[in-house]
Amino acid sequence: MDDRAHVLVVEDNELVSSALRILFESVNHRLSVAASLAETLSVAAQDPPDLVFLDLTLPDGDGLAAVKPLLAAGCRSIVVLTGHDDFETRQRCLAAGCTEVLVKPVPSRDLLAKSTTLLASRRSALQ
Amino acid sequence: MSRVDSATPRSPALDATTSDSRLAALESQLAAASAEIAELRARDALKTQFLANISHDLRTPLTAVITHAEILRDGILGDLTPRQLESIRGIISGGRQLLSQVGEILTYARGAANQLTLVPSRFAVRDVLEQMSALNESLLKKKRLVLSIDIEEGLPAIDGDREKIAHVVGNLLGNAIDFTPAGGRVWLRAGHAVAADCPSLLVEVGDSGVGIATEHHDLIFREFAQVDSTPSRPHHGTGLGLTIARKLVELHGGRIWVESQLGTGSRFFFTVPLRQAD
Repeated sequence: MDDRAHVLVVEDNELVSSALRILFESVNHRLSVAASLAETLSVAAQDPPDLVFLDLTLPDGDGLAAVKPLLAAGCRSIVVLTGHDDFETRQRCLAAGCTEVLVKPVPSRDLLAKSTTLLASRRSALQ
Repeated sequence: MSRVDSATPRSPALDATTSDSRLAALESQLAAASAEIAELRARDALKTQFLANISHDLRTPLTAVITHAEILRDGILGDLTPRQLESIRGIISGGRQLLSQVGEILTYARGAANQLTLVPSRFAVRDVLEQMSALNESLLKKKRLVLSIDIEEGLPAIDGDREKIAHVVGNLLGNAIDFTPAGGRVWLRAGHAVAADCPSLLVEVGDSGVGIATEHHDLIFREFAQVDSTPSRPHHGTGLGLTIARKLVELHGGRIWVESQLGTGSRFFFTVPLRQAD
């Protein structure tokens, strides 16, 4: 059985998602990429992720619509990666149940450090 | 022979008709002008919205450029030679520079559309000045500039939007560094404003640099204005920095101004009203 941490990147821009794929695969996470709300809900139902990096502006709707189903499926942490740096967006994301809101582009080292911290609780639960 | 005397007074009925038609003409002109103003306002709002949208949309491809370059820089796909590393660092710095200019346009667009809101907290201005000094350390070192920080004893904490005050200080300090030749002096001071209507904090960002001619003191706070706007000008940027700084200071109920003359350095000041601690 593959016991690597499952990270889901929700991002409709292929140039950005390919960078995040290279980044997270380099630290041996199992990675899924969803480019729409529908794909996100499908991953949540079939293969619930441990950690999600969520874009808000998706071609078929608001990324926050996926937060409840993801949490219900057992996902522990949802980090929003957005181009919107305003206070209202931050409040809206936290109220919806997201763990944290980061404004793009987040330095790659910070993203890796963030995933390590957020997945630490999963590791200790597995041990 | 009869003749019409042009000096003969006209009948009151005729006068009323003339003034009615003049009134109607004025009303019609007023309506046309109002429609034109409404049209211009609508176009201005569209332009502002366009700036906000385009700034936001530019962040996504910039994110791709910067993140891919950072992956290479960090050796995730293998080690690089020192020259390759130097080149990659150039891509990252250029990308971050572009990003900060895009951010500036976005902040300007929000300010123009009155969409900027304050997120207040209580903080010590000393922390902001020291943070901005630390952030600019490498630039100061590169130009061999001496930076001093002087804060009045017992200055109370202020209630304001820390991030936005930091933005103002960062912008003024960035300009001071940019416009001061190597080996010069730059300083940050904070204290009570003496002549303000209400108790206020006064922050000064000064430099021993090239200075600004008196006739340009108003111009520099206007949007897109640069004293030297020729393509070969030595200092580049969006020309929005001081417009945004002014907007952010005014959002706090303060004011911003400059005291300077060509060749004598510049002193930028801004105030933020102090509210007594609860």
